[in-house]
Amino acid sequence: MRGNLYLQLIGVFAPLSLLSFGGGQSIIADIHLQSVDVFHWVTQAQFVDLFAISRAAPGPGALFTTLIGWHVGGWLGALVASLALFVPSSILAYAVARMWNVHGDKPWFSQVQRALIPLASGLILAGAYAVLSNSSGGVSIWLIAAVAAALFMRFDKMNPLPVLFVAGVAQALIQAWL
Amino acid sequence: MEQAEAAITPDEPAIVPVSFTDLTLLFVRIGLTSFGGGLSAWLYREVVGRRHWMKDDDFLGALTMSQVLPGANVINLSIYVGHRLHGGLGAAAALSALLLPPMVVVILIAMLFERVGDLPWLHNSLEGIAAAAMGMTIAMGLRSGRRALANGRWSLFIIVAIFAAIGVLRWPLVPVVLVLTFVSLLFARGRP
Repeated sequence: MRGNLYLQLIGVFAPLSLLSFGGGQSIIADIHLQSVDVFHWVTQAQFVDLFAISRAAPGPGALFTTLIGWHVGGWLGALVASLALFVPSSILAYAVARMWNVHGDKPWFSQVQRALIPLASGLILAGAYAVLSNSSGGVSIWLIAAVAAALFMRFDKMNPLPVLFVAGVAQALIQAWL
Repeated sequence: MEQAEAAITPDEPAIVPVSFTDLTLLFVRIGLTSFGGGLSAWLYREVVGRRHWMKDDDFLGALTMSQVLPGANVINLSIYVGHRLHGGLGAAAALSALLLPPMVVVILIAMLFERVGDLPWLHNSLEGIAAAAMGMTIAMGLRSGRRALANGRWSLFIIVAIFAAIGVLRWPLVPVVLVLTFVSLLFARGRP
């Protein structure tokens, strides 16, 4: 029965690994379908809670998968689900990184890199916008993000942790007040 | 080659060599301290901004590639940075240092949550933390935008087009990036 569960975790997450174009957000809908409706690994409320925890906790948001694996299969379930999601895409990324670095010193390559900078910039801003507009925290969320952005622009060697801490306290206070 | 690079970016400091231990320790630290997400921005601040292990262009080019490939962006980016700085072993070290410690932490936090239940103030402060992390991401986007504009004003068109298509209109990422990469290459072609 247990072995069956691990196979199911692999069967769900390994294919998603290679389908998660544009980062984790693109596969959340399918993870939801499989883990709540098809396999009943978590309830709807647990799904939302685990998602929020993975977003706030340190580490990449993709650790959401680790939490689903843990919830249904303990520490071993966490490991199996994580490996299923991370290994296939990482092997592909490694192969591309190798090819990329082989050409790293050629003149045409620095031209390609320069062409990619505005794309990186637009993608970074679009990602932040998408996350902020999906937040349930109201106007203060945008305000906190704007103030933090200004601080990080102005002091580029500053340690981010105090800013994150103050932002957490501020949002809790504002929401308690309103 | 070196001179040509220096002529393009006179304000960019020289690249600093990095030991395998320092590389691993940095990824452990980022993995364990990046509350609220925005890990690419953490990496950018440390690897390019504070430590000068990699050049701006190199890092941002890899970031775009990481977004196009399947998989979490920061994981793909870490594999690239690790490989760039210390080969295959560096890539493996960066990846496991970034993932394994926070995997344990996130499970411990989830255990705690199951015990104490849902507290509104805790939920709100987590949202605040995530918002500040997005502020760091915005700062990175603006910084790289400034870098892009130094290469020509056409960059602004690409930045706005990507932001509108992906952020506002929520079009699928891969075709949008492929088309705009082609346009951007046309603009960048033949410039010094």
